[in-house]
Amino acid sequence: MKFLNLLRKELKELFTLQMLISLALTVLLFVGLGTMMSDAVDDAVEASGTITICDQDQTDLTEAIIDLMKTTDTNGNGTPDYEVKTVDITSADYAAELKRLDLSEVVIIPKGFSAQVEANQKADVEYVSALTSSSQMSNLSIGSDTAIAFLSSAVKSALYEQKNMTMEEITLLEAPLNTIETTVVGDNSAEASSSSLISIISMQSMFVPLVVFILVIYSSQMIISAISTEKINKTLETLLSAPVSRLAVLSSKMLAAAIASAVNAVVYMIGFNKMMDGMTGDLLASSNGAYDSVMSQLGLNLSFGDYALLGMQMFLTILISLSVSLILGALAKDTKAAQTMLMPIMILAMLPYMLTMFVDIKTMTPVLKYLVYAIPFTHTFIASENIMFDNMSLYWGGFAYQVVLLIICMTVAVRIFTSDKIFTLTLDFSKKHSAKKKAFAFGKK
Amino acid sequence: MEPVLRVSGLSKQYKKGIYAADNVSFEIQKGEIFALIGPNGAGKTTTIRMISTLLQPTEGDAAVDGFTITKEPDKVRQNITYLPDEAGAYKTMTGRGYLQFMASMYTDSKEQAAEYVRRAEDICGLGERLKDKIDSYSRGMSRKLLLARAVMSHPSLAILDEPTSGLDIINALEIRRMIKDLAARGMSFLLSSHNMLEIEFVSNRVGIIAKGKLLVCGTPQELKEQYGVNNLEEVFEKVVNASEVS
Repeated sequence: MKFLNLLRKELKELFTLQMLISLALTVLLFVGLGTMMSDAVDDAVEASGTITICDQDQTDLTEAIIDLMKTTDTNGNGTPDYEVKTVDITSADYAAELKRLDLSEVVIIPKGFSAQVEANQKADVEYVSALTSSSQMSNLSIGSDTAIAFLSSAVKSALYEQKNMTMEEITLLEAPLNTIETTVVGDNSAEASSSSLISIISMQSMFVPLVVFILVIYSSQMIISAISTEKINKTLETLLSAPVSRLAVLSSKMLAAAIASAVNAVVYMIGFNKMMDGMTGDLLASSNGAYDSVMSQLGLNLSFGDYALLGMQMFLTILISLSVSLILGALAKDTKAAQTMLMPIMILAMLPYMLTMFVDIKTMTPVLKYLVYAIPFTHTFIASENIMFDNMSLYWGGFAYQVVLLIICMTVAVRIFTSDKIFTLTLDFSKKHSAKKKAFAFGKK
Repeated sequence: MEPVLRVSGLSKQYKKGIYAADNVSFEIQKGEIFALIGPNGAGKTTTIRMISTLLQPTEGDAAVDGFTITKEPDKVRQNITYLPDEAGAYKTMTGRGYLQFMASMYTDSKEQAAEYVRRAEDICGLGERLKDKIDSYSRGMSRKLLLARAVMSHPSLAILDEPTSGLDIINALEIRRMIKDLAARGMSFLLSSHNMLEIEFVSNRVGIIAKGKLLVCGTPQELKEQYGVNNLEEVFEKVVNASEVS
């Protein structure tokens, strides 16, 4: 009985309203993320049923392969498995061609394909895709993979029809196609696999959002704790009754937190950079610098100026999280409330952090897209991608939005700090107040 | 003679119709110890916070050394010090570090700040423990440090909310004697306390506040005679009960 009473008391202390709210918010966060990501998955599934192909060879063999693609009905329900779009690509400027045809990817059967098959040679096939984002689900190419599989199997069938196969022919049968992949970024194109590029970009740039996430949480926690602790310990009352301006107290707190965050940012970035060098160094070395030159050709390498833009964006984010935390810290009545105050910032940071890892936000439905853009931290998570893929209007739009938001948050924070509200405003999660009690919940004895 | 503190019709409304302090007026002369007493939620801390320039009055004003809290709060802060009830200190600092930090808030002169710190070191009597982090101090030690901080700059008016809370009998007696000694040398005090014995021992005049209104004001002797009782506790009970009935 004693044990049960003890257990009940412990559970009552742990399962507070704050905890239940944070649990509910966590569930909402993941449900929201799932909903947003399901749109991206639906798009990918829809795209997987579409094959875009350009037949530059135009022989009986290639036409037969394309007909087979169009008529394949594995389910036997009278509906073809794939929607096959044939397009004409006349120039080698694939970036311009994709833009003209409004395509993100295309499989090209080049001239001489059938001749190579007849001559028992590996047949060339070109796969061109536009890289627009570094998120994992933005560059799925199921339709094109299917087209290449069709071509591969068609070539195998052609070879099967020949008799007295040599060892070379059997080897050829195992890998009958020589796929030449071209990746387009903006107006530039280079012969490289988009999936390999995404892997390299992801590995190289994964630490930037991670550092942003850590910084937002770290700086917020610092300032919430600094303000709420001073308020709870009444050291703030002592300090503000001394002949010192409130703005000096406020700005010293913010500057100290910003410096501590910047030091942390530098340490984390150096650490992650070293870690990623260890992980990707061998990979890049084995390609003899080939990918490095491809990245430069596609404009995917960040210059010093790009890093400066990224730094500005990160600093702005830290200032926003500090000013929001200042407001939240001023609302905290006790230590538990101060911990709970971190929750909204955590959610606002986690949502875009996780979304940008998997989904290209630009491709989301307008309502969801603008909802995600309304979260100020989103613009920092997508800043490196925007700079990399030359979406500078989106970068500067996000930057301007963050500046406006910072001015609003700072104005509110300064008003709270320079008025009675720093002592009278409280958000109390711990008690259910009656209306009468509420009237007296304004910081007085 | 111009009083050190003149409070005139000071009121604070947190919510429409609810006054935490309602038309409070009193004065404190140079070298006087004035105690503001009242039940919990009576408006003592609100009144003290307004005089300390932490809260803006809804109506009325107060002047310290002729500077008003509504128009010249910066100058008021140069002439007062405030010690809140149950206040803490920065726990990562040493006792001496805290005194140095707070001294630097009251003066830009290094010599003056060093003088303040020396004075506070003498008053608090913490000796070698001043080199230790405040984190390791007992509640009584922290309170002595904070009290020393509150008087080290020799302000015109020291506002002390429950000055001896958390102190043992010997330490509390020391603090009361220190307050009387500093008052004798010209420092004025505005105290708030629930300890009627302390109030009776230390203060020159007492104001009893309830439901935001200052109900009576006088020396402990005058109040005892006015209500025909033997001690201040009984005065307090009669005044507060009468206010409940009205």
